[in-house]
Amino acid sequence: MSALVWRAVLAAALVCGIGLLPWLTRTDPALTVLKARSADRDPGPAVLADIRAGLGLEKGPFALLGQWLGGLWRGDAGRSWLSGDEVAPAVLHALGVSLLLMAVALAVAAVTAALVCARTLWLGAHRRLDGRRAGGGGSAVLAALPEFLTASVLATVVGVQWGWLPALGWYGPQWTVLPALALGLPAGAVIGRLLDDLLPGAFAEPWALAAAARGLPGRRISRQAVRRCLPGLLPNLGLFVVGLTGGAVAVEQSFDIPGLGRTTLQAALAQDLPVLQAGTLALVLLAAVTAALAALATRWLVGPALRDGALPSLHRPSPPARRILPLVQGGLLIVVVALGLPRDPLALDTGERLRSPSRSHPFGTDALGRDVLARVAHGALDTLLLALAIGAVTLLTGVLLGLLPRLSGPLVDTVNAVPPVLLALLVTAVAGSGPATPALAVGVVAWAPLAAHTSALLRQERAALHVTATRGLGADRWYLLRHDLLPAVLPPVVRHALLRLPGIALALASLAFLGLGAQPPSPEWGLLLAENQPYAERAPWAVLAPAAVLALLGALAVSAAGGVAGGRRRRGRAGPRTPAAAATEAPAASRELVKTG
Amino acid sequence: MRRRHLLGSLLLAPLLTACFASQGGDADSSGDADSGSRLRVALAFPPAENLSPYGADATILSRLGVTEGLTALDANGDATPALARSWRRENDRTWLFTLREATFQDGSDVTPAAVAAALTHATEARPAPAALSGVTLTAEADGGTGVRVTTGAPDPVLPLRLSSPSLAVLSAKAYDGKDRVDPAGTATGPFELTKTVGSTSAALDRYDDYWGGRAQASGVDVRFIADGTARASALRTGETDIAEAVPVAQAATLDENTRKESATTRTTSLLLNAASGPFENPALRAAARRAVDSSALAQGVYEGHADPGAGVYGPAVTWAEGKRQQPRRVKAGDPDGARITLATYDNRPELPEAAQVLKQQLEKAGFRVTLEVREYSRLESDALKGRFDAVVLARNTLVDTGDPLAVLAGDYTCDGGFNIAQLCDQNVDRAVRKAETIADTGERQDAALAAEAAILGTDAVVPLVHQRVITGVGTSVSGVLLDPYERTLVGAGTRR
Repeated sequence: MSALVWRAVLAAALVCGIGLLPWLTRTDPALTVLKARSADRDPGPAVLADIRAGLGLEKGPFALLGQWLGGLWRGDAGRSWLSGDEVAPAVLHALGVSLLLMAVALAVAAVTAALVCARTLWLGAHRRLDGRRAGGGGSAVLAALPEFLTASVLATVVGVQWGWLPALGWYGPQWTVLPALALGLPAGAVIGRLLDDLLPGAFAEPWALAAAARGLPGRRISRQAVRRCLPGLLPNLGLFVVGLTGGAVAVEQSFDIPGLGRTTLQAALAQDLPVLQAGTLALVLLAAVTAALAALATRWLVGPALRDGALPSLHRPSPPARRILPLVQGGLLIVVVALGLPRDPLALDTGERLRSPSRSHPFGTDALGRDVLARVAHGALDTLLLALAIGAVTLLTGVLLGLLPRLSGPLVDTVNAVPPVLLALLVTAVAGSGPATPALAVGVVAWAPLAAHTSALLRQERAALHVTATRGLGADRWYLLRHDLLPAVLPPVVRHALLRLPGIALALASLAFLGLGAQPPSPEWGLLLAENQPYAERAPWAVLAPAAVLALLGALAVSAAGGVAGGRRRRGRAGPRTPAAAATEAPAASRELVKTG
Repeated sequence: MRRRHLLGSLLLAPLLTACFASQGGDADSSGDADSGSRLRVALAFPPAENLSPYGADATILSRLGVTEGLTALDANGDATPALARSWRRENDRTWLFTLREATFQDGSDVTPAAVAAALTHATEARPAPAALSGVTLTAEADGGTGVRVTTGAPDPVLPLRLSSPSLAVLSAKAYDGKDRVDPAGTATGPFELTKTVGSTSAALDRYDDYWGGRAQASGVDVRFIADGTARASALRTGETDIAEAVPVAQAATLDENTRKESATTRTTSLLLNAASGPFENPALRAAARRAVDSSALAQGVYEGHADPGAGVYGPAVTWAEGKRQQPRRVKAGDPDGARITLATYDNRPELPEAAQVLKQQLEKAGFRVTLEVREYSRLESDALKGRFDAVVLARNTLVDTGDPLAVLAGDYTCDGGFNIAQLCDQNVDRAVRKAETIADTGERQDAALAAEAAILGTDAVVPLVHQRVITGVGTSVSGVLLDPYERTLVGAGTRR
């Protein structure tokens, strides 16, 4: 019940925040509405006064908000400030389009995730997982792919050059394939990675051993293992569902899909508040419904076990750390940076524009004739440092808030449901447009999936037998948290956070058009991708180079994380890594408690 | 179990189709060769106000051959007959227009009373149509074919003004609705609006009784595709016959013979803040002007799809060629590392690139430049307040009325409403005010060029390039109307 109230409070705060947005940012809505209607029109005082009178802006934000809320009660979401159309039908139609796109994208994501996990599942089913390294470089690369790049590549290559599928519009099932691929591939890669991270733990559990001993077919064991891991992922899956519904702006734009992402983006820029409020409310409702469904599904999957505290711990038997791979990836990154640093990233020569890679320009040149290698190298430091800093802060926030699921659950859903541009505008409204604002605007969303992940894992971990045992030995909550819960939850969440590093770099760049974040001619990676995107077909190298280093960063983050987490685990719990040893871990921890306590 | 699946899919099917957009018009009923096939057009700017004839959407209607006004603009920027066959100036404030025989698409005749009513409705629109800002105007019927238009103050450019798409003539039925004017089936052009799907698509049918003769195409299916790359793709995959405004970056991906280029009245300029900051000093403005190499921009950034800046008006304004006066300028000073902020917007992808090239050119001359790139609506108010030292801006120099002086008065005089350069110069104001009083077209153009020279002489504006617009036109399509004012595209003679 309290969660419901908290959710309602958040939604109300959000709607009110949007209602006050123009007054908080001191951006005259009459001006933005005029510019959205007709960009060439001079904003004379008479024109603005007419628009103000037409929209009733004189009444002030509170009266307008009250009026809108009053209408909402009767199912009337007001009329768009821009077009004068009724908002509710337009937003519902856009929502329908977006939900359909999201559903197809989710199917693509499911297939992708299945492919990512296929190796682990196969090995696990055949009891050959011990001592094997986790795969996942490929999935990390896929997860680092920016949606807009995949979208434009798919549209150009599959849609235009090969002509296999329609690249434009939204008229029937065959139009859904390419956009769904662009959205679903990276999402599926992330989900697949997270699942792949949990699966070895499930396969190492005693039941799997027993099932295998009893001669159950490997396929059934795999299915049970997936079922065992899903509850930890469901909240994140829910976040993806909502995020893809409202935040697929880039894909909607390049495939010309009349979805909710584009609708809210346009409304946010024009400060078309009724549309913005209605769109956001629809997304927040969707988030609440998804969260409830995820909770139901969790209960259905592992409810009794959670209630009875009968879940074994999902500790992954730590794989041998990869020592070579991170070195190779890191080395490659360093070589690229070292080669590029002596070059000038800003020297432009329009006579040399869009040159293909050659000896003098190993990565080619961009639209202004600048050396792409130099720009990639010089952008590396800024991009990496900022992304790492934001990543660290969001990890901390995510874990801390994830420890308080009652407080953070609805907050996570709500924050995740709000379109990123709107959130950036709201953050700017509160924090002003200082140098820290872009980091804040990105950080304010980025913690949410980590918190959801932490909460989900924590819930399972709390129900684990060894925690009950430790509690039985008289441990207090802090002890439990420090010695049992956090060590189990942190490694997967840290790996998750690292997986999202490239995403943070991209999100930073996507705010640039609001005048936030890096400005040209800075060679920040996200900006590099964005400024070269229009030339993707003519000069693919100019986008591929930054995309490749970003993907390399993703792969490096994941492989290095495996090593780090494994190293720590080894220090804590020595001994051979067999399922049997994993099963005896809990008593070992309890013994330690007895000794120290 | 199976039955439930069947039931489920039966229920799901209509739900799913509701989630797709409906294709504009009945695209497959494209008729036989005699009656002409339907044209498919991809436009860049989706209607923002439900195709209201009083805002920017009016241009869409005019480009698609739906609406017409009393007059139109010819290639030289002169008023030519449209619904009015002829006109004459009765006195300073009064003009008499003689109508031609025409019918509205709802079957009623174009009568002087209907025209006067349509113009009166336009004057009452709030906000007023851009062509009527600052103008009071009354229209009344005069006899069987005459419409007398009286303005509050003498208006020598009234015929030009009436060519504005926002002063299109619609039948009485259009104004029946309470809160919006409905152009569907109430206009006079060769095509009749039959269906609009939000801001996604629209369908037009040929209007058979068009006064200028039956159109060749049986109808037009319009899609509004905001993304420039997507528009170019639509043409390349044959999903559309005409793609409006293909971005420069995509031009090279189109076949040479599908690329139609036309000069526009849009000029991209560097506006220097003459009221505060380093550019308050005319010598530094002159230094900036000298530092700018506009042909490098036209070639390097616009890939030759633009002409180097010559003045406020570009080559699309044909009468300006050859009459241009040389501005008198001050001597350039030494920037000595003066710090400036250069702002521009990213709605047109070439502008940030141009700004980066400018940054290098200015830095070579001794300035220290910081760039600021934002979305246009986030930039404009700060630019108007003079928060930046320099702004790169693309501007239509024959705004709304087709009167060359409107842009000079609005952008460069002390009281100008769009004075981003913050210029307040007595010579400029005098020259503009003098030109505004002249009625004779030729003399008015001369005076406008004199005012242009006075403005260029202050160096508050440095013309960078005059843009050409690239329209993608399928190889089988002929008769596309490309005009520098971007008011026409599809006409009675356009066909595929």
